[in-house]
Amino acid sequence: MRALCWHDRHDVRVETVPEPKLINPRDAIVRVTLSAICGSDLHLYGGFVPGMVKGDILGHEFMGEVVEVGAAVKNLRAGERVVVPFPIACGNCFFCAKGLFSLCENSNPNAWMAEKLWGYSPCGIYGYSHLLGGYAGGQAEYVRVPYADVGPLKVPEELRDEQALFLSDILPTGYMAAENCAIERGDTIAVWGCGPVGLLAIASALLLGAERVIAIDRFAERLRLAALKLGAETIDYSEANVLEALKELTGGRGPDACIDAVGMEAHAYHNIAHAYDRVKQAMMLETDRPTALREAIMACRSGGTVSVAGVYGGWIDKFPAGALMNRSLTIRTGQTHVHRYLRPLLERITKGEIDPSFVITHRMPLDQAPAAYRMFRDKQDECIKVVLMP
Amino acid sequence: MPRSPNLTRADRIGYVVGGIALIVWALRRPSWSRALAASVGSWFLYQAYTGSNPMLKPLGIRVNREPAQPQLAETIVVEEAITISRPRAEVYAYFARPEHLPALADAEVDIARNVADQELAWRGLRGEKLAHFGSLSFRDAPGGRGTIVAAHLEYAPSGGSLGAALARVMGRSPQRLVADALRHARAILETGEAPSTSGQPSGLR
Repeated sequence: MRALCWHDRHDVRVETVPEPKLINPRDAIVRVTLSAICGSDLHLYGGFVPGMVKGDILGHEFMGEVVEVGAAVKNLRAGERVVVPFPIACGNCFFCAKGLFSLCENSNPNAWMAEKLWGYSPCGIYGYSHLLGGYAGGQAEYVRVPYADVGPLKVPEELRDEQALFLSDILPTGYMAAENCAIERGDTIAVWGCGPVGLLAIASALLLGAERVIAIDRFAERLRLAALKLGAETIDYSEANVLEALKELTGGRGPDACIDAVGMEAHAYHNIAHAYDRVKQAMMLETDRPTALREAIMACRSGGTVSVAGVYGGWIDKFPAGALMNRSLTIRTGQTHVHRYLRPLLERITKGEIDPSFVITHRMPLDQAPAAYRMFRDKQDECIKVVLMP
Repeated sequence: MPRSPNLTRADRIGYVVGGIALIVWALRRPSWSRALAASVGSWFLYQAYTGSNPMLKPLGIRVNREPAQPQLAETIVVEEAITISRPRAEVYAYFARPEHLPALADAEVDIARNVADQELAWRGLRGEKLAHFGSLSFRDAPGGRGTIVAAHLEYAPSGGSLGAALARVMGRSPQRLVADALRHARAILETGEAPSTSGQPSGLR
């Protein structure tokens, strides 16, 4: 089959590889009909996540048709159309029982690696480095899905692939980012980063009753979508001082909650912070550039919540612990517990309350994936979200 | 309160020899740079005296000078614990099969003690020689959260403490073998299978 393989920093290639086989009784094999490139795939592409091995198949956002199931999978049959959550979760362990699926204790065969870096291991993730299990991903023609009796969600016929695909990651991720804000009536929410997750966090915050949403980015096409499609107010951080602008827009108090939908490769303007972090990152003195997180903490109103959806991998410095402590801020974060959002969000899609396919700007064949990664990295051609057809 | 030692006898002999050599070399033609060597040498001697290298402490290396099994003069100690969301009797029954014990490879397992649902102890033999010994204890996790399995294993330190430290950094230590065996057991008991990617496709042929 054809699959997108990671080779090195900024080097991915479509190659012919063997088709996946069932390994465990609870596995299924899915023929991928649509996959997507995630902003967090760019962290792998840029070499910011340790534990990548030449030849690894990427992709954790995918859906398709079940072609084969293991002996222990009773709820799925060949031919059924499913969307697959990006966290690999067993459904049996302490964390799965609590609904914290992305913390599954049993799905990462390389838990010891993650423990070295993070103390304990979260779940395994498709195509997301050997630190998180080294599972082959879904930017391919076929993919093996472990614990297929727990993860995959059957997609009703009336939905198009493009409407259902983002249940795999970015819709639940944006939704959980908004849910973590514990939104109350009258609240103003600020969102750093208007990539697909940021845009869906804005949409979710409005669904959950936010009065106003303020969107922060520097790319005109993203800000335009946030303003015109979703009705957010916008701040272009390459033009404005974000902290001052937010203070002004919120009557001198700050947003009630702040969402960091940027993560470890943030950019900063108007100060030397970006250069400082870039140099430290290059010298491996810190692994992540936390500009957005720092700003979100500084901007948040006292007693408010900072919700972190952007991915971080290691260590940061100049963390504003004083602001966090003295102003009673709450930080809520985590890889998304996708499984628990699948059904409620599917219902919102079928009812027409939200159609996440509005973030798609590019539809390309899998064979052009390397060009798609380049375009997405460089934000060429107003690229916001690429979906790939095998 | 004395620090728990993390240097084996062989390590300490090495530290004494190395420490004295550095000091002697420094005293034969004193200079500022050799004074530094001498101070490193004295630090080696001090570590040989205390039996502890502070740099090994974060790696969790622990040496037992008086092991419970007198056939081993001294041992390196491994301790790991895991919580498994299954009843105690079921967890015990799984580990009661010798091939499921977190024993070290290429040693024959000889069950030394078993108390149903509470404890399992074994000796790892290489021919007649004792290579390691270990035990598992089982107790209920608080709040009905399943069973806590605590593993204690001691093995003969063939590569010394530095060897153990190196293995730990490389991720190939007995400590990891024990932890992986416990994790494997949890996956089997809770999910009926062990997570694996062996044989999956990759662009690396």
